Amino acid sequence: MKLAVVVQRYGADVNGGAELHARYVTERLSRHAGVEVLTTCARDYVTWRNELPPGVETVNGVPVRRFPVRREREPLDFGRRSRQVFERTHSIADELAWLESEGPASPALIDHLARHGDAYDYVILFSYRYYHAWHAARRLAGKAVLVPTAERDPAVGLAIFGPVFRGVRAIMYNSHEERAMIHAAADNAAVPGIVVGVGSNVPERTDPVRFRRRYRIHRPFAIYIGRVDENKGCTELFDYFQRYAATFPRGLDLVVVGKAVMPIPKHPRIHHLGFLEDEDKFNALAAADLLIMPSYFESLSMVALEAWALGRPVLANGRCDVLKGQCIRSNAGLYYGTYQEFAETLYSLESNGPLHARLGRNGREYFRRNYAWPVIERKYLEMLGRLTRENAASRVEPLGGWLERRRRTLPAAAEVLARIPSGPVLDGQRGEPTPAYVRRGRHA
Amino acid sequence: MSEFTIRSDSADVEQIMKQIRARIREKRGVDYTEEEIRELANVKLEQFLDPRGVRSDLLAQYRQRREASTAPRNYAFEDTTLYASSRPILRFFRRLLNPILKLFFNPNPLIEALHIQSKLNDSYNQAESLYYELIHNLVLETTRLGIEVKNLKMRVESMSSRLDFDERRARALEGVVQYRPGAVAPLQPPTGGAANGQSLDQEGAERRARRRRRRGRRRPGPGGEGDRLASAEESSERHAASHERSEPPRRAEIDSHSDAAPGRSGPSES
Repeated sequence: MKLAVVVQRYGADVNGGAELHARYVTERLSRHAGVEVLTTCARDYVTWRNELPPGVETVNGVPVRRFPVRREREPLDFGRRSRQVFERTHSIADELAWLESEGPASPALIDHLARHGDAYDYVILFSYRYYHAWHAARRLAGKAVLVPTAERDPAVGLAIFGPVFRGVRAIMYNSHEERAMIHAAADNAAVPGIVVGVGSNVPERTDPVRFRRRYRIHRPFAIYIGRVDENKGCTELFDYFQRYAATFPRGLDLVVVGKAVMPIPKHPRIHHLGFLEDEDKFNALAAADLLIMPSYFESLSMVALEAWALGRPVLANGRCDVLKGQCIRSNAGLYYGTYQEFAETLYSLESNGPLHARLGRNGREYFRRNYAWPVIERKYLEMLGRLTRENAASRVEPLGGWLERRRRTLPAAAEVLARIPSGPVLDGQRGEPTPAYVRRGRHA
Repeated sequence: MSEFTIRSDSADVEQIMKQIRARIREKRGVDYTEEEIRELANVKLEQFLDPRGVRSDLLAQYRQRREASTAPRNYAFEDTTLYASSRPILRFFRRLLNPILKLFFNPNPLIEALHIQSKLNDSYNQAESLYYELIHNLVLETTRLGIEVKNLKMRVESMSSRLDFDERRARALEGVVQYRPGAVAPLQPPTGGAANGQSLDQEGAERRARRRRRRGRRRPGPGGEGDRLASAEESSERHAASHERSEPPRRAEIDSHSDAAPGRSGPSES
């Protein structure tokens, strides 16, 4: 079997969520099939500047074919177009202009796929919202397997993505919440789909003592791993933690790991260590009492899975459907919506040994059952096998004529998103998860 | 804080969260719904009352803008202004023809009004900087008060958690206290009816007699049992005070003491 993996960026040093996801899956699938990666020359996800040479190179044993990006992203133009399609009544043409402005626009990559599509049995497309995935899905709908990595953001309410979600051969979802959201947005329940997620290269042995010695952290601590960004809920986390620290002067410290794009408050109990290599990161997780995930929007939190793999409970932001759903399904984490809940849940995890131990064990079990690599590989291979057996034709609906594309009748994407039910999808006692939606207000 | 137990074979996160929320409600009384909180958050105070919305260098900025401004500050308007001219001859003819002008309309009320307006402008300009200084001082004061309120809020939270901890500690200690044989048992609520009245009276008489005997022993002088008891009470108070702590007990402590403190409100694995 010959597979093409199409992703916006790719490389051993590219650490974005979807990109890392793509690399892990590619490297695992390459054990079972011939895999080639098609990507751009970009390294920076903000500008999509061509930084890597075009052509073929090998990354961890997998051939990677890079194509140049036609033009860098212009933040002002992209911001203006985003406001147009997310907040106002607009047309298909506006959405297409938004897609082009978002990038990474690489027509060479799409041309290559159109010319050499026959050479691949299936094309696995990562991140539905980018140029490459949308165009590739339209060109090779019959071979397209989409990994949407969709968060609950207004892009999911854009009209151009509905036909893609309905037209691809299969969809590999990251979470039950993502699947429910896309089903509600695109009415594509008929398309074969499965909740897969991604595994992680968690080491078999970790050395928490080494981490403590190296970074001189001697007190017990909770950890946050990820970009330190307001959009990731870090402002709220710091605010809540400072209040908690004032209430419990000798409680847990907070260790923050990741690149900071916002100021981190100077506090004797908040330790920012910057970006850490994988080995140190896993040692830090093993040394921590728990992981805090303050993010509002996640498609799948890999770091939460890693914490569970290491037997650490997670304290998640309850406003993120995916994280809340995972905490409930795994019984391996608590969640908060207000400061009072944050303080109570953190205190419980900090002081209640049996609870901490039980959630940790549940997390390890949840990871082993759902996100261990053999499970992930099996799900991908079974889906590809099923598609080969069924051999059904697939086609993305056409866009409409010149005039129709320019008719400004589409509602603002944020309004569409607000109409999509939200909330965690809870497991029934047996069988498939049953949606248990909680209708909420506008969730922009 | 955490008053729930988990069974060793399972932990239901939803159930735990329900218990946590119930505890929060118990502490805070009636809780706002999410919609109500959103509604409250949307109601913003006037911009000038929000210290975060006002620049701390407001006065300096205002003065700077005033100095940089090219707009005319004020004008002078006297009774001669209407007829003023740099050419004396022109000034003369305007005055000469003034009676003819008055045949058409009376310029005097206009002159008077503009003159008053000019005076008002002057007084406003003088008061304006005072107003800004006043607003500036109010903003500083509001900010200071805001910070103080925040600090007090944190202290109240801290005190409340200490109180919470102490209450639980007291309950735990009450559960493990062993009364010496012959010592006075803690008072029990009355359970019987009139039949018990007599025995209670007898018990009370005995207690009073014991108390009298004890008082008699205390009297002889310093160093007696009475003093020892008093100093023991003081020392136990000091001990309790030294154990007063505001941080959550560590897990290891809880685990190791869980058997020793049956009245502890923390969780236990069964």
